[in-house]
Amino acid sequence: MAKSLMIVDDSATMRKIIMRTVRMSGLDIDRTEEAGNGIEALEKLDAAPVDIMLCDINMPEMSGVELVKKVRELPSSVDTKIIMVSTESSQELIDDVIADGANGYITKPFTPEKFQEKLSPFMN
Amino acid sequence: MVDEVCLNDALLAGAKEVFETMIFMDIEESSEPDRQVEGDALLGSITFKGNLEGCLTICCGVLCAKTIAVNMLGMDSGEELSKEETHDAIGEVTNMVMGSVKSRVQDSVGDLEVSIPSVVSGRGLDSSLGDGTTKILVKVGIEDEYIAELSLLYRASSR
Ligand SMILES: [Mg+2]
Repeated sequence: MAKSLMIVDDSATMRKIIMRTVRMSGLDIDRTEEAGNGIEALEKLDAAPVDIMLCDINMPEMSGVELVKKVRELPSSVDTKIIMVSTESSQELIDDVIADGANGYITKPFTPEKFQEKLSPFMN
Repeated sequence: MVDEVCLNDALLAGAKEVFETMIFMDIEESSEPDRQVEGDALLGSITFKGNLEGCLTICCGVLCAKTIAVNMLGMDSGEELSKEETHDAIGEVTNMVMGSVKSRVQDSVGDLEVSIPSVVSGRGLDSSLGDGTTKILVKVGIEDEYIAELSLLYRASSR
């Protein structure tokens, strides 16, 4: 079944690249949203929840880690699968953000195959 | 402690990984060490701190930066590329190369905290960090056409 997706990243370029990579990965996505920061993401999620959220960590104002905690407080988004997409690669940080409620982690640079591998468990 | 050769290798390997997987361009250490980045250029930089502190920079000509942005965004050659998009692309390349270098030196240096990247444009751009700094400079040829300078400025942390 097709899924809805939100990409949260402060870089418009990175949002486009992620969008293209998702397209190349062949995953069945029927609706995509974008947000340039945590506040915008929360507003959009509140209006229309998504199945999968791809979330940057290194963002000004609200970091991706804080955003994960806030999303988990939204009743509409308890089932949203959150996959972090970041250049940050320390195991400690990955463990922490998963403990905070994220469901997976993709490190930059990435490939369409990586997206396929990490997202397909959430496509059913 | 980490040595210059190790950082040099990490810088080159990190940049190669990013260019090959995200930009679809081949880069090689330049065989023309005297060749400089000429004319209008962009310089992306990102700072880090931990056991080492310093910054990583990537400098290339505007034309090279535009080609990188077009490739990263998967744009058709006819599409217009804005100045913001080009700057943003170079910032993200800098961010990703830093991320890749960081994961390569994690075992020897420990974890590094990384800033948000910034990009400046101009001519004859150079970066410096002050006393006691070591500078590693790697010149790379991109697709046998462009030249880019990668640098890593660092010193042992004072904390
Ligand atoms: Mg970011």
